[in-house]
Amino acid sequence: MAIAIPTDVKTSDERFDRTATTTCGYCGVGCRLETRASGGRIVSIGPALDGPANEGHTCLKGRFAHGFTRSPDRLRTPLIREDGELRPATWEEALDRIVAELERIKGAHGADALAGLASSRATNEDCYAMTRLMRAAVGTNNIDNCSRVCHSPTSFALRKSFGLSGATGSFTDLDQAEVALLLGVNPTQGHPVVGARIKQAALRGCKLITIDPRRIELADYGQVHLAPRPGTNAAVVLGLCHVVRRDGMLDEGFIAARTEGYEALEELLAGYDPQAVEEVTGIPAADLEAAAHLYGEAGSGSLLWGLGVTEHKYGSEVVQLLCNLAMMTGKVGKPGSALLPLRGQNNVQGSSDMGALPDTYTAYRSVEDEEVAASFEAAWGAPLSRRKGLTIPQMFDAAVAGELKAMYIFGEDIAQTDPDTAHVIAALESLEFVVCQEIFPNETTKFADVVLPASAFLEKEGTFINAERRFQIVEPAIDPPGEARTDFEIIGEVCRRLGHETGWRSPWDALDEIARLTPEYAGVSRARLGRQGLQWPVRPDGTDSPTLYDTVFDRPGGRGHFAALPYKAPGDAADQDFPLILVTGRILQHYNAGTMTRRTGNATLVDRDLLEIHPLDAERLWVKDGDRVSVRSRVGRIEIEAKVTERIEPGHVFTTFHFPETRTNLLVGQSADVNTSCPEYKVIAVDVRPMSEEPAFIPVVADVS
Amino acid sequence: MTTVSVDGVEVEVAAGTTILEAAQLAGRWVPTVCYDERQAPFGACRVCMVGVVGSPKPLPACTTPCRDGMEIETEEPTARRVSRAVVELVLSELPEAPAPHTELAQVAERLAVGEPRWGGAVHRRDDDLRHPYLALRHELCISCGRCVRACDEVQGAFALTATGRGFEANIAAGLDAGFEESSCVSCGACADTCPTDAISEISLVKRLKGA
Repeated sequence: MAIAIPTDVKTSDERFDRTATTTCGYCGVGCRLETRASGGRIVSIGPALDGPANEGHTCLKGRFAHGFTRSPDRLRTPLIREDGELRPATWEEALDRIVAELERIKGAHGADALAGLASSRATNEDCYAMTRLMRAAVGTNNIDNCSRVCHSPTSFALRKSFGLSGATGSFTDLDQAEVALLLGVNPTQGHPVVGARIKQAALRGCKLITIDPRRIELADYGQVHLAPRPGTNAAVVLGLCHVVRRDGMLDEGFIAARTEGYEALEELLAGYDPQAVEEVTGIPAADLEAAAHLYGEAGSGSLLWGLGVTEHKYGSEVVQLLCNLAMMTGKVGKPGSALLPLRGQNNVQGSSDMGALPDTYTAYRSVEDEEVAASFEAAWGAPLSRRKGLTIPQMFDAAVAGELKAMYIFGEDIAQTDPDTAHVIAALESLEFVVCQEIFPNETTKFADVVLPASAFLEKEGTFINAERRFQIVEPAIDPPGEARTDFEIIGEVCRRLGHETGWRSPWDALDEIARLTPEYAGVSRARLGRQGLQWPVRPDGTDSPTLYDTVFDRPGGRGHFAALPYKAPGDAADQDFPLILVTGRILQHYNAGTMTRRTGNATLVDRDLLEIHPLDAERLWVKDGDRVSVRSRVGRIEIEAKVTERIEPGHVFTTFHFPETRTNLLVGQSADVNTSCPEYKVIAVDVRPMSEEPAFIPVVADVS
Repeated sequence: MTTVSVDGVEVEVAAGTTILEAAQLAGRWVPTVCYDERQAPFGACRVCMVGVVGSPKPLPACTTPCRDGMEIETEEPTARRVSRAVVELVLSELPEAPAPHTELAQVAERLAVGEPRWGGAVHRRDDDLRHPYLALRHELCISCGRCVRACDEVQGAFALTATGRGFEANIAAGLDAGFEESSCVSCGACADTCPTDAISEISLVKRLKGA
């Protein structure tokens, strides 16, 4: 509804010389933003009142954390390594070096000795261009993107259970849900605009069930909070399913008409009564039962999860179990009953949808599918490999083994964010040639032979896909600084110089090509996306799909699949040497590796990573609030400041990974999801000790008088 | 459905629709100051007064629901006089005219309210510029409550409160210790909704001051 005087009067005033409506490039919520710039710098950003995901709201990252775009240390010219040092270079020099090295290595070792990374921070068109660079211009399927290390288990499991790799509904389902169950997700920190939406829903009467080893803020607004031991999510969900079945809360009609495989699950569930689950998870049986009844008895209920589910050894299986829970109670494909994975990055959904994966083209169609591969061969005019490529962790292994010789890394700081930092660095050091396409020097560019200055989300055009499967338009608010270029332009130029002409004049040509080659996105076009975007699948006439599976699932036979998957212990466990379990995650003020937010006023609000520790553990270890502590795991050691808080359970500690000086990921080992190799960032056995052993209290000596 | 006429334009509206919403559907302008579509109607400022045939006095458009057959006159003289007087009184308390881009300035301009006729006390200057992003200039606060409601109803941080009474009425972040010492999550919803720039982005304040 239009209002008499737009709240957003600031867009049309003379303080600004350039305005645009774009889509936020921080988390996966997909807030639409109004940007206002003056003299080539962003001056102010506000929310678009008609943004479907944000409805006139943003968080402090989307609204305020834009100053990084003109930070003095932004990469403004290409750099090439000479005598061991990176020096400024011209684009000609940099591109010549890239082409010469890629061709040399391909000639000597074959195309599969090269690998590329697309970025979940970049646009669909950038990612798609990157797949074309690796597949058509280089000739390998060695392409992956950073969703590997966050939501690949979600994608895998949703395809197994329901058919399509995306949320089953929209954020608006949260406004209608009678109950929302949050597992391993902390939206008021990680996805603040959805967090605010859930909080408002709770204040209006929506009941919340929060399940997290930490007492997250939304737990204070909910009915039941369950704090399982890290790594025991599967037992929690199986326990919920057990109670739903035992206490007659099944939607038997739905199970009979819409699903398959229930019998096998039923048999498995027998072993997960609340007492058995309490043994494994530490959750009181009565609390588990209360949660199961809240969800099971509600007329509508939505499930939300995040990296607290996926970044585990059996993360993908837990997502399948969540799908079971929804199907048992018939809570899928209806208003208020949606499964909403909260995607970590702005385009986690899109980068994978675009086929920036070693085994699929767009819309998750296998590289081994002859018909699909042939359609891309025809469109691209190049022979394409039918052999699956390497995932990110496999790339590192292959590099260390000497099989992979070169990497083209676009928009990912692998030396900061990937697990087992020492192994990543060994891989980078083993490579003969490394290209980084980046906006800032980072931990990974220290190993690069060529660094290309690229563009931030506020400087490019194209589309992102948010956590609701919504394609949304990205428009430039300002131009890239100095000699920096847009990623789309750079990748197209590299293709051209490798002898592969894309024929694209702009990202919109690439979007048209994606729509032409992908039935699920057939009706997507720049004009149709407009201000509101479209949720895939989009039919050729432009009809989109806010809700999936209202009548059938997208699987053979149209039935949803129950997966009978038992609980299995996580990859790491506390023992005498490493008695605490570390969970890692992020906070409101910063974003992942902090590349952007650390270069804004957000760093004034929060300037360091902290280790959260329960008062009981702190007292036992003689750690006071604000003390520096040493944290040692089986693979590494860091030093960090302690924060004593009751938000965390005894036996667990928590920290973020936003500041490179902390190097949290030195502690993370090689344990990873069994199906997708997403690293187990959430269960790390550690030993915490104070750096200096000052007693935090004076021990009371027994009174013997 | 309910049918009402707004300045002679007939519109059909759902039950519970307010006069303000009906006027918007009819494409007619009603001045507002304390209204924001993202928040529940508040009815505090008395600027959205309209005439309704048969009503002995003007009614606030933002909180009055439509009744079937209602004849609404957005520019009814008494209502308009009240709106102007309210805006003029609000302006008279400010130590400086609100910046031209603000909603208050634009409403004043459209209602042709010029320099207030009344002198007398104006708000004491009191600027809190401690937060990295948010400036709080108490002297520009008109106590419309939009920031408090944005914080409560949109964000849910409950960081802002209305303080003082009468001429001293204002807002406070937390217990008046500033945004950073409150439960503020720095989302900026308050700055976004503020119709006078009493809360605004600090970068824009610095620009205004030429820094």
